[in-house]
Amino acid sequence: MLRDAALVAGKDLRIEIRSRVGLNQIGPFAIAVLLLFGLALGPDRQVLAPASAGLFWVAVLLSTVLAVQRSYAIESTDGARDGLRLSGLDPAGIFLGKTGAVAAQLLVLEAALSLGVALLYGAHLSGALVLAGACVAGTLGLAAVGTLYGVAASGLRIRETLLPLLFLPVVAPVLLAATKAWDEALAGTPGRAGGWLDVLVVFAVLYVAIGIVAFGSLLEDG
Amino acid sequence: MSKPARAVPPDQAAVVLRVLGATALVGVVATVWLGLFVTPPDEFMGNLVRLLYVHPPMAWVAFLAYGVASLASLLYLWPRTREAHFDRLAGASAEVGVVFTGLTLASGSIWGRPTWGAWWVWDPLLTTTALLFVLYLGYLALRRVPGEFHVRARRSAIGALIAFIDVPIVYFSVEWWRSLHQAPTVLNPTTHKTYVHGSMAWTLLLGFVSFTLVYVWLMAHRYRLAKLQDLEDSEGLEAALAERRAEAVAG
Amino acid sequence: MNGYVEAGYVVVLGPLSLYGVTLVARERAARRRVGAAPSGVRTGVPTAPQGAHGDASLVNRGGAENEERGSGS
Repeated sequence: MLRDAALVAGKDLRIEIRSRVGLNQIGPFAIAVLLLFGLALGPDRQVLAPASAGLFWVAVLLSTVLAVQRSYAIESTDGARDGLRLSGLDPAGIFLGKTGAVAAQLLVLEAALSLGVALLYGAHLSGALVLAGACVAGTLGLAAVGTLYGVAASGLRIRETLLPLLFLPVVAPVLLAATKAWDEALAGTPGRAGGWLDVLVVFAVLYVAIGIVAFGSLLEDG
Repeated sequence: MSKPARAVPPDQAAVVLRVLGATALVGVVATVWLGLFVTPPDEFMGNLVRLLYVHPPMAWVAFLAYGVASLASLLYLWPRTREAHFDRLAGASAEVGVVFTGLTLASGSIWGRPTWGAWWVWDPLLTTTALLFVLYLGYLALRRVPGEFHVRARRSAIGALIAFIDVPIVYFSVEWWRSLHQAPTVLNPTTHKTYVHGSMAWTLLLGFVSFTLVYVWLMAHRYRLAKLQDLEDSEGLEAALAERRAEAVAG
Repeated sequence: MNGYVEAGYVVVLGPLSLYGVTLVARERAARRRVGAAPSGVRTGVPTAPQGAHGDASLVNRGGAENEERGSGS
């Protein structure tokens, strides 16, 4: 399973490095979201800075939708699932590989967004360990749910608008917990983020587990 | 593995359904009458307490329906109990559930406005209900993705589990989030004290029972509708295939 | 104050009744459509659950499903 996962993840990441869609499209999208939030909430840093954590994570959530859609688009167009299904790879491995690739790309994006948030909203990036921990645990959960729903909501046109609707409500706890963890870190009290980090870890573990078990069935059912 | 067809004579089923519907209707009418006219106003909330004969039952049914849909989905996924009727049950419960969830939010909002001065508060229960509403809608949308019956059923069942396992996580996260701030809550101790005795308690109980019966009645009809739609689909497919065969023979 | 109470009851009972009525109407319409179609096979399940990979077999696999017969009323 892990070998197949590494295979799939490697393939997805190589495709990204070569095509640079993440860099050219999803990254700018995320930055645009940050800018739009800035416009929406006004130039006053007194308003923006405290909201940095939430806005950061909303931008991440939205970017995850794009990243997952991209993750499935790189398989052939309509035969997205056929290609994967017929490859003979362990479905759980495919799930882990795709989740890992999406997560990796998101983490790179988050690094950039952190700088964006510091620059645009005046957030002081303290408590780096908590910030990073929340990013890793949160992103893993996001990628797992996204990859799971992605296989059911990708391929045919009728399905593609489904992904945001399915994905975003389910990951609401990730948004909540990650934002609170970041809030504590940014406010200079990273010690208080412990519980929220636990929520993120539990969520990630839960949905990675569900994915390992359920992905195969969803993959079969074209 | 051959199982005998569970032959419930259609007449019996229809009669049971009628009786159920009539009982539910009587119960609801009685609840409304008692709630609006017979029971006294509360000493703190005044007449607003009357909304509490209706709003909590809505919430109860919303979550009951969610539980039934989740359980039915689980049963469908479990190989030993993989029966078509569990998939239909899940779908029926979800559709009725989304109606009740919407009504929970609406009635909660209407109660909240005069009570807290706002149409919405980020109370854990209300927020979880709002998220449940959207989760339901997503699940129903997933069900509508076309496909072969069992493909659709399995996909929906997994989708249901992914979504509905989330609900407790959401509730506890929001509750913790809220506990960090002092805020009005629906599950307020004083709310409980006010209508624990007398006609108010009985009316509340009647409300819970009646609306639960309404839920069951609605679900039964929704289930039957689903069954008929599946029948229609299978007959349509057969007709098309028969036509195709006829053409092949002729041509 | 009282306006809220009436509004609450109306907002709950109205849509609920509407949903119930339309549901029964939809069911009746579906029953009519199904009754009109000439077909002797009444399982309500187009294909079998296991072992049928993309194979749309419309043979009545009655043994594989536990189905209620007789949906007409």
